[in-house]
Amino acid sequence: MELYIKGIGCVSPQLTYNNSVFLPEIKKYAGKHMMCIEPDYAPFFDTGSLRRMSRVVKFSAAAALTALKDSGITQLDAITTGTGYGLLENSEKFLTSMAGATGSVLSPTAFIQSTHNTIGATIALITGCNGHNNTFSHKGFSFESALIDARLLAAEGAKHILAGAHDEISEKTFALLDRLHAFRNNHDAALNDYEKGSNGIVAGEGAAFFILSAHQSEGDYGILVDNTIFYHPESTVQVKQYIDEFLEKNNIGLENIDVVISGINGDTNSDKFSHETNHLLFAHQTIALFKHLCGEYMTATSFGFWLAAKMLFTQQVPQSVILKNRHRQPKYILVYNVFQNDHSLMLLKAC
Amino acid sequence: MATLKKEIFEQLNLQHIKPEDVAYDQPLFVEGLGLDSIDALELIVLLQQKYGIKLANPAEGPKIFYSIKTMAEYITAHKKQ
Amino acid sequence: MEVYIAGKGIISAIGLNVGETLHALKAGISGIGTQTNLLNRHDNNLPTGEINLSNAQLAAMGGLNADYSRTALLSIIAAKEAVANACINLKDFRTGFISATTVGGMDKTENFMTAFIRDGELKNIDQVLYHDSGAITELVAEQLGIRNFVSTISTACSSSANAIMYASRLIKTGVLDVAIAGGTDAMSLFTLSGFNALMILDEHLCTPYDDNRKGLNLGEGAGYIVLVSEKVAAGLNRKPTVKLAGYANANDAFHQTASSPEGKGNCLAMQGALKMSGLAPQQIDYINLHGTGTSNNDLSEGMAIQRIFGEHVPDSSSTKTYTGHTLGACGGIEAIFSILAIEEKLIFPNLRLKTPMKELNFVPVTELKEGVEVKHVLSNSFGFGGNCSSLIFSKVN
Repeated sequence: MELYIKGIGCVSPQLTYNNSVFLPEIKKYAGKHMMCIEPDYAPFFDTGSLRRMSRVVKFSAAAALTALKDSGITQLDAITTGTGYGLLENSEKFLTSMAGATGSVLSPTAFIQSTHNTIGATIALITGCNGHNNTFSHKGFSFESALIDARLLAAEGAKHILAGAHDEISEKTFALLDRLHAFRNNHDAALNDYEKGSNGIVAGEGAAFFILSAHQSEGDYGILVDNTIFYHPESTVQVKQYIDEFLEKNNIGLENIDVVISGINGDTNSDKFSHETNHLLFAHQTIALFKHLCGEYMTATSFGFWLAAKMLFTQQVPQSVILKNRHRQPKYILVYNVFQNDHSLMLLKAC
Repeated sequence: MATLKKEIFEQLNLQHIKPEDVAYDQPLFVEGLGLDSIDALELIVLLQQKYGIKLANPAEGPKIFYSIKTMAEYITAHKKQ
Repeated sequence: MEVYIAGKGIISAIGLNVGETLHALKAGISGIGTQTNLLNRHDNNLPTGEINLSNAQLAAMGGLNADYSRTALLSIIAAKEAVANACINLKDFRTGFISATTVGGMDKTENFMTAFIRDGELKNIDQVLYHDSGAITELVAEQLGIRNFVSTISTACSSSANAIMYASRLIKTGVLDVAIAGGTDAMSLFTLSGFNALMILDEHLCTPYDDNRKGLNLGEGAGYIVLVSEKVAAGLNRKPTVKLAGYANANDAFHQTASSPEGKGNCLAMQGALKMSGLAPQQIDYINLHGTGTSNNDLSEGMAIQRIFGEHVPDSSSTKTYTGHTLGACGGIEAIFSILAIEEKLIFPNLRLKTPMKELNFVPVTELKEGVEVKHVLSNSFGFGGNCSSLIFSKVN
């Protein structure tokens, strides 16, 4: 079932929390990670609630509430979220208190807010939404699963669905992954550096939420036509087959795709399939990247989705994201991402 | 009690309230400060970590944590020497 | 379109497989006791529903490397049993593995982190690579040979019920033909400490639905069922005898950890499941209660049940009195208990219930009932964050 994108909210390492602008300027990052540019939270939460919210809860709930306000919808029927690592800061906080404990009772707040469904639950609490509420936590399929869930919900009769994803960079987890040589220095890298390839990823974080509905109305950003996942394909041939099948299922030819938003992250190993498919299949498409803007994290495709929605609405493909320009008006956008051999495809189109 | 007030504010992260606005005999729960059951648990942790008092039965909480004054009285009565 | 149950696999404190589990259920043998060496760092002697096997022993059973998270080790054992029980060649169909967990690889991470935080010790640092829920699921999916579709749900105590629901919806919409769905959670100090901090653990064996109940006992385990489409079911040699008749996911939207006094979310979930199944409340033969044993939980659930069933509350019991609260796995484990109730014509007792709750007009059964025609079973799983899920299993005509 096709879903109309009625509202968007995105907090990321770029200035994206303000819906009235579209990547006005690009912030470059020198180090191994990109942290979110966060909004003022006062308009979103009372100070009494804020005291208990960790950073990721704040920026994720703010993104969700932004999407809700943006859509003009007051009644939510369902909430479905994805997160790869869940709430790391709170987990680390509780683990730290466990490490220092000597048999005494520990502070419960960090534990309570460490469960993966905390953000989904927080939004349900704030909006009073008693409907379906799900949280997926599966690597590069987390946001994708939430989107599939949203499409199922719409087919089952849900009118307005909040779907989104979040992941955060936390001190200890980052330090440990760094020790395992997961990251590389960004050195203010430009888009083209991402195509050249290197060793390691640049860590990112963020939250992006969308109000989706099977019912069209004026002012919709665009349409989510379909999305799919394919798990651990063994070859580019198999990947090509999956992509062909996906497009065929949606009665669309490769030639109709105007823009491919690619999840190339600059790590040679990770980008193997993306480069090959760009070369094999997408010779005639404008190719746009996004991880030079938000970094790499398990739910980065939610940023890619935000980018697609903005492109469809403004009918602009910002120069700052173009890897290869075929000067095509963005009517059909395909988002293709690979995270540790979890492949994701999303097809969107203009209203 | 001034120290206790400071400790309570820290434990509960009450950044949004001015300490001088909270009187020692003011009810902490129900009205005013908007504290809830999780805050009650945090106060139990405070009792243990700062004063060595173990509160085994959370049901006693509402009585002890009624106000900063009642909390201080409880601590004085039960503090480990 | 109907969705049928073709197989089941389980491991918990009361049995390493379905056969042992059924034996314990019938004999009234609870698996909750004082901790073994698994969590010997914890000062309190809190009763837990631990599986009395080391990671090495579990690894030998399941065929996974013993260094992996216990959550994965439990998962593979139950998932493999479910697949074997179904007698289906997974490769012939579009097969998905939909798992659920709250602990994920935390059992390994906490081991590493404690040493790291205290002494800067970096030994076993690569254990953190399997911390995330998806990593656990993929370890198992690889062993099962899954190629089409994987996902993991993490909604606290309703996780594996939601996984079963998601799987069913994927089958009904033609995305999958077969799905292995359920969940897994291993014992971890993180969870034990967390629940202890919430002061909802019982220092003695838990007594759900007892007026004097003091809290819950944590447990561990994994439970998976194999769901198949009508078409696949028709082609099986052994025709399924149970189907997933209805389900619903609702949110209480009341508080992060406590349930609303009237059990609003619980009510919505049960009503939604009944509506989908097309059943009237009086057609339910048995309710497998969420019944954790906390003061708040049992009251909310009990009140919600009264609201829906009125004067005619069916037989009910909390099987957490046997296994402890297996968190992310409880939906899957208790789905299997519900299916067994139908297949074996049994109603399992709520152990250790002495004094009925004064607020309720019904009392869970306290003795095993045998030879009972159990056609429809309602299974509840209500979690932190207000996540409420209910499943209804029905006997196939």
